[in-house]
Amino acid sequence: MSTTTTAASSTTSTLAREFAAVLPDDCLITDEVGLRSYECDGLTGFRQVPAVVVLPRNTEEVAACVRVCARHGVPFVARGAGTGLSGGALPVADGVVISLQKLRRILEIDVENRRAVLEPGVFNLDISRAAGPHGLYYAPDPSSQQVCTIGGNVAENSGGAHCLKYGFTTNHVLEMEVVLADGSVVTLGAPTAEQAGPDLRGVFLGSEGTLGICTKVTVRLLRKPEAVRTVLADFPSVEAAGETVGAIVDAAIVPAAVEMMDSLAMEAAEAAVGAGYTVESPSALIIELDGPAEECDEQFAEITRICEEHGSTRIHVADSADERARVWKGRKAAFAAVGRISPDYIVQDGVVPRTRLAEVLSQIAEMGSEVGLRVANVFHAGDGNLHPLVLYSEAAGEHDAAEDLSSRIAELCVELGGSLSGEHGIGADKACSMGRQFTDDDMAVMQRVRTGFDPAGLCNPGKIFPTPRLCGERPGPFRPHPLEEAGVISRL
Amino acid sequence: MNTTPTSPASLTELRDAVRDTPGPVVATGAGTAADWGAPLVGEATPISVAGLSGVIAHNPGDMTVSVGAGTPLADLQEVLAASGQRVALDAARARRGATVGGLFATADAGPLALGFGTLRDLVIGVTTVLADGTVARSGGHVIKNVAGYDLAKLLHGAYGTFGVVAEIVLRLHPLPAATRTVALQVPDPAGVPAAGRAVTDTPVEAAALEWVDGRLLALLEGTEAGVEGRASRLVDLLGADAEVLATADADAAWEAHRDAVDVRPDDRAVLRVGVAPTRLGDLLGGLVADLGAAGVTAAPATGVATFTVPAEPVAVDAVHTRVADLGGTSTLRARPAGSAVPAWGPTPSSAVLLRSVAAAFDPDHRLGRGRLAPWLPVPEGASA
Ligand SMILES: Cc1cc2nc3c(=O)[nH]c(=O)nc-3n(C[C@H](O)[C@H](O)[C@H](O)COP(=O)(O)OP(=O)(O)OC[C@H]3O[C@@H](n4cnc5c(N)ncnc54)[C@H](O)[C@@H]3O)c2cc1C
Repeated sequence: MSTTTTAASSTTSTLAREFAAVLPDDCLITDEVGLRSYECDGLTGFRQVPAVVVLPRNTEEVAACVRVCARHGVPFVARGAGTGLSGGALPVADGVVISLQKLRRILEIDVENRRAVLEPGVFNLDISRAAGPHGLYYAPDPSSQQVCTIGGNVAENSGGAHCLKYGFTTNHVLEMEVVLADGSVVTLGAPTAEQAGPDLRGVFLGSEGTLGICTKVTVRLLRKPEAVRTVLADFPSVEAAGETVGAIVDAAIVPAAVEMMDSLAMEAAEAAVGAGYTVESPSALIIELDGPAEECDEQFAEITRICEEHGSTRIHVADSADERARVWKGRKAAFAAVGRISPDYIVQDGVVPRTRLAEVLSQIAEMGSEVGLRVANVFHAGDGNLHPLVLYSEAAGEHDAAEDLSSRIAELCVELGGSLSGEHGIGADKACSMGRQFTDDDMAVMQRVRTGFDPAGLCNPGKIFPTPRLCGERPGPFRPHPLEEAGVISRL
Repeated sequence: MNTTPTSPASLTELRDAVRDTPGPVVATGAGTAADWGAPLVGEATPISVAGLSGVIAHNPGDMTVSVGAGTPLADLQEVLAASGQRVALDAARARRGATVGGLFATADAGPLALGFGTLRDLVIGVTTVLADGTVARSGGHVIKNVAGYDLAKLLHGAYGTFGVVAEIVLRLHPLPAATRTVALQVPDPAGVPAAGRAVTDTPVEAAALEWVDGRLLALLEGTEAGVEGRASRLVDLLGADAEVLATADADAAWEAHRDAVDVRPDDRAVLRVGVAPTRLGDLLGGLVADLGAAGVTAAPATGVATFTVPAEPVAVDAVHTRVADLGGTSTLRARPAGSAVPAWGPTPSSAVLLRSVAAAFDPDHRLGRGRLAPWLPVPEGASA
């Protein structure tokens, strides 16, 4: 046994002893089998068994656990449900995983003020379930909402189909209780719409678990809209569907959701849940409108007309709640369903300005065929947030080619003036691509924020920011924004 | 000789000015909120961002625009209107020429905050100059974007501390095709919360809801037929004290609201406070009698209220205390020149982070020194 391993295991036993002093036995995992179930999140290609997993039951226990880590200079990683797709909850070698799964109480549904107070382990969908009887709901709706936690949503600033109209997690969180990296507890934000001073709550939201552990969160609830109208429209080409989205925007309509699927994605979803999609159609849009009844009806008629004008080959109006649920079920099942048409696949997440959708999709198709891999597309078309699914076979040795294609797709999004990630986060997955989107100075300034929150760098290290160890020589050079190249904007 | 430009015309010049100017620096825009927040401490050199003005890139199809921070919001709205778009922000002082950067730094907002949030929600990218001349960008030109930390949030409401905002990217919304304003008589402030709930409990979805001059105004935005239908439904639901205002009356009513929140009295301090909607009744009750408040306006759905009190430390402090006791937040807006009244409420637990992040951004506290005091204290020996 090497000396470093011996040193690590003696620290581990010291840690375990100290955790045992602040937690009951069943809240501490140190056995190999138990630890293995925490070795990765939804990005299963990245694995690391942690030294210890702790499952505190309340804020005080979270803080006590963090203090143990701080005392020993041991890094820790917060974990919700582990559905993250960028390796954000990937453990650090010889580090601690702090699972929030025992903090799962809905503390309050405040009907009159339209807000909910939650522990971080509450599942996203359970908020709307609890608020539903009062005519209220929680708007951000990631496709994983049945199983992902509000704490994970806070960390990733998660989005969903309906974020086009209603905004992302950051637009719905009012206040958070946060355990900082030294074990102290602070409140960020306020339970009010008006907030005073710099918005530290907003800085924490989307910081991917690198600035502290959220132990309580107050979110806004919305009144359920009076009317909802949903249409599934087939199009003869991806371009036609893309142009339809543009025409809807030009008509000054802000739909609740506009989702696009290509034929591969529909084939997979259809095989999995039978959502009623036309498998032969090259592409389809799911368009949903909501709001006051008179406006909804009027705009719905206009949307139908726009679809027809753009050559829609079939317009299927989901006119009952059941039918609507069926249409959405196919969309929400699409990622997992791709497993039915390909042995392995990688989910990518990138954003382009919406007006460049058609261009990016045809480039992606080209890049795929160059390397002989299929790419399925199912994504949030309204805000240009792509989710290309790169299909491959591990057994056929296609893994590296697929990884490479997937990374190049994300970087292409940046080149087109977009972003490396719209909702899944940078995590461990795309840290090495950050240099494509941001300059060294940009990232150094972000690191100054991190220093302010966590001077010792114990909180989820190795995520978001490229490190030489992680990236080697790989991070490509920063490239100027296309508007900079065109001389329209300049950095200096 | 050091010829520091105090009115830089480009990002490079701004960077050099911020870096090379000795001592404390204060970024200025149109000067419409020069006296908001806590007073500056020491002899700060003003550096105007007014020269960084105008649209940098507007892509109507993507519904985004990037602008120099010194762009007056009203000018920008005019440009955008030609494409049927707007920044969904209606802060009253925009009519006095307030710049996008200034509105952002002071976290200002107007009635539309109910429907669209504030600049915190509308800004999707920012370029900032730090005290040491580092130029950093975060966010970008797309509405959906989670890559990297969101530095814009740190600068929103920072009153020129942390960094000088140079460029801002905004998400846009379509201009509504039609609007209606429904007015409901609510003479007594005690009746405001219930009247507000009466509106928000209906499905008509007001974009703004404000109580001013004894009336609750509900702004409906949408299609012509849509707002017509919704307005008459709302009047039916609210009863005899409600009416749909004629266009000219609606314009006058909203202008009166702007007059009420955008006041600059000689002897009174203006405060903007926010509480949970259910606490608004407790706040409004006794505001006039106990605290000597006047010019009260309130937004029952967001819990935000603006009013004036005598510009005495005791009076302003009493507001901060009362709001804090109700679980809310309070900020000083305009104050008479020379008056020393506390700008901020009780120091929050998160101030430790403001201080540690500020130490990493601007260790000598050169930018906006004093503005966030005592949350962000003035460094020892720097008070001269
Ligand atoms: C099938 C599928 C569909 C998905 N669809 C979407 C979608 O539509 N939109 C979308 O945005 N995402 C989607 N995701 C990604 C994922 O569900 C979200 O990122 C989600 O927010 C993660 O929540 P979690 O509880 O699983 O967090 P984890 O995966 O456990 O953790 C995610 C990150 O959050 C941090 N974290 C967790 N809890 C806390 C806390 N309390 N305090 C501080 N940091 C914390 C972790 O350290 C990690 O960095 C999808 C995932 C899957 C598998």
